[in-house]
Amino acid sequence: MFKKVMAFALAGMMMTGVMGTGAVTAEAANDDVMELTMYFPVSVGGGPDALIDALCEEYHEENPNVKVTPVYAGSYADTRTKVQAAIKGGNTPDLAIMFSIDLYSLLSMDAIADIDSFCTTDADKEWLNGFYDGFMMNSRDGETTYGIPWQRSTIVLYYNKDAFEAAGLDPEQPPKTWDELREDAKKLTVTENGQVTQYGIQIPSDGYAYWMLQTFCVQQDGFNLMNDTGTETYYDDERTAKGLEFWKSLADDGSMPEGIVAWATTPSDFLEGKTAMMYHTTGNLTNVKNNADFNFGVAMLPADESYGSPTGGGNFYIFKGVSEERQQAAFDFIKWMTDDERVAQWSIDTGYVATRPSAYDTERMKTYAEDFPYCLVARDQLEYGYAELSTYNQAEVQKAIDDAISYVMTGQQDVESALATAQQTADGILQAYR
Amino acid sequence: MIKNVKIGTLFYRTVMWILLALCMIPLLWVIRTAFMPTSKALDLFAVAVPTLDNIRHVFETVPFLQYYGNTLLITVLVLGVQLVLVTLAGYAFARLDFYGSRVLFVVFLAQMMIAPEVLILPNYSLMVKLGLNDTRIGIALPFFASAMGTLIVRQTIKTIPIELEEAAKVEGASFLQVLWHVYVPLLKPAFVSFGMISVSYQWNNFLWPLVMTDSVGKRPLSLGLAMFAMSFETGAQWSDVSAATFLVCAPLLILFIVFQKQFIESFVHSGIK
Repeated sequence: MFKKVMAFALAGMMMTGVMGTGAVTAEAANDDVMELTMYFPVSVGGGPDALIDALCEEYHEENPNVKVTPVYAGSYADTRTKVQAAIKGGNTPDLAIMFSIDLYSLLSMDAIADIDSFCTTDADKEWLNGFYDGFMMNSRDGETTYGIPWQRSTIVLYYNKDAFEAAGLDPEQPPKTWDELREDAKKLTVTENGQVTQYGIQIPSDGYAYWMLQTFCVQQDGFNLMNDTGTETYYDDERTAKGLEFWKSLADDGSMPEGIVAWATTPSDFLEGKTAMMYHTTGNLTNVKNNADFNFGVAMLPADESYGSPTGGGNFYIFKGVSEERQQAAFDFIKWMTDDERVAQWSIDTGYVATRPSAYDTERMKTYAEDFPYCLVARDQLEYGYAELSTYNQAEVQKAIDDAISYVMTGQQDVESALATAQQTADGILQAYR
Repeated sequence: MIKNVKIGTLFYRTVMWILLALCMIPLLWVIRTAFMPTSKALDLFAVAVPTLDNIRHVFETVPFLQYYGNTLLITVLVLGVQLVLVTLAGYAFARLDFYGSRVLFVVFLAQMMIAPEVLILPNYSLMVKLGLNDTRIGIALPFFASAMGTLIVRQTIKTIPIELEEAAKVEGASFLQVLWHVYVPLLKPAFVSFGMISVSYQWNNFLWPLVMTDSVGKRPLSLGLAMFAMSFETGAQWSDVSAATFLVCAPLLILFIVFQKQFIESFVHSGIK
């Protein structure tokens, strides 16, 4: 503290030119090590904050003149708050890991630099083209790249093989279509004395409800809820209605709990055998693997006309408002972090999907996949990966559809009128950006 | 006996009991879950031998002692400085008749109408310029002057007969002696009620420390708890979250139980809820 006050006083004196010699030494000291600040959120268990610290440390050892200070900023929402406050308060960080869908809110603040402009050499361009397309969809606005995929996930189907056997189903044949899903879920529902003791399936409908709805939309030949410039939503489309109706019908069948299914308790319900199947993020793979005391399987989401899942998770961003030199250093750091080997190791340690196809060709990934083939399900599904709902004024546009889903799930409104209201709300909000 | 209790009273008491139960259920659930083995955490009627595993796990995963230290430091620092400033300012507004004192007082009170959240950005910019971001003193600094505290102290001093002060002066007491020996003892109930408001605010404050702190070592409890409890993409670990919540609110609860009588008296006294 005292040091900082002194430093400030010193800086003040230097500015007024009282201590000319002091300025020279201070600048020389700054030249030695460039310190970059990186904000990052943690949303999965398993201590990824320690992993990030270790990676930054390693980078500093290899590049003694750059030191990246990682700042753990809490949840994704907290990180957004912190970054926005820091930018407006004139203390802009050099880079950050934030929600991929924060793209448009960052763009409307004019806060982030476009990545393409740093990719000057052929090697850089090759690196940029080496990410999965499914992940890049949320990283671009039109043709311009603003984010680099890092901690990314998709939704997969987890199922309890023991429960499948008990219900007379083949544990190696998880449902592949909506119809099979409906039939299997019915068979897997166990009732004792009029009380359901095991549900067939749980698909969370709070928090990330829009994300779950997107699965049912993109499975209809890749129809998505919004355009790729963040200015339009298609909430009242008949395919959206069809998806939502199918989702709701699982509850009507009695094979999914009535009302809202909580995101946070779904994994524990699955682990405790209260549900035989669940839709959840791949970010949960390590958790389920470590804690399930039964045989479980992971599969691609059942298809309607096609397979499909939205992607999710966090990207690297570089900020405007810091010097070009620092931006370049941040870019180099990101390139280093997303090197094949490191991406593979990060995926193994956390359960996130490796963001580059080439990472799956590394030795360590091959060895891991031999031991635990389910880590490849998310990768295979990426062929059918789509952008997560991302628009200008994200929070409100997202709330509109989340509200509609909860009205439908709790039986307060029918599908059609709920979606019509949601679309109206979204139109009102997005009007300003068209 | 029953005859003596009027229907109205009975109704009134029933409502009171229901409200009490509604308030107590979450608290009891948290305390129960904090000491329940993880496997039974979600089973509402499970009975199990209480365990300290959850608490131990929380202490192992998160530097809770450090968080406790930071919160204590910030809370005590803020309250200490506030009490000094509030007493002096309250005295000035109550007893000294200087030019523009009333206008100044109204301007000062207007501060109460501004939610602290609105000031986060300007305060943050200022702290960055002062080089105080990511320091504990930076978290505490904006709260040193309190309009509410000044108001409470001023109103209380107004109720104290000025003759007491005059008598002390006749005895040859200096200004500070008057303040210390005459006013401070009489202001104690006001201090307690203001202290409770201030402590619980600082104890729970979230957004400001979130914006201000960058390093784990500078973070207060509220932030540590939220970051621990909200990292839930994989699903909440209810027993851990409950254990952490219990650790955070236990000191305030104990404080309240110990000082219950004073608190309630001071509320009655100051008329502020």
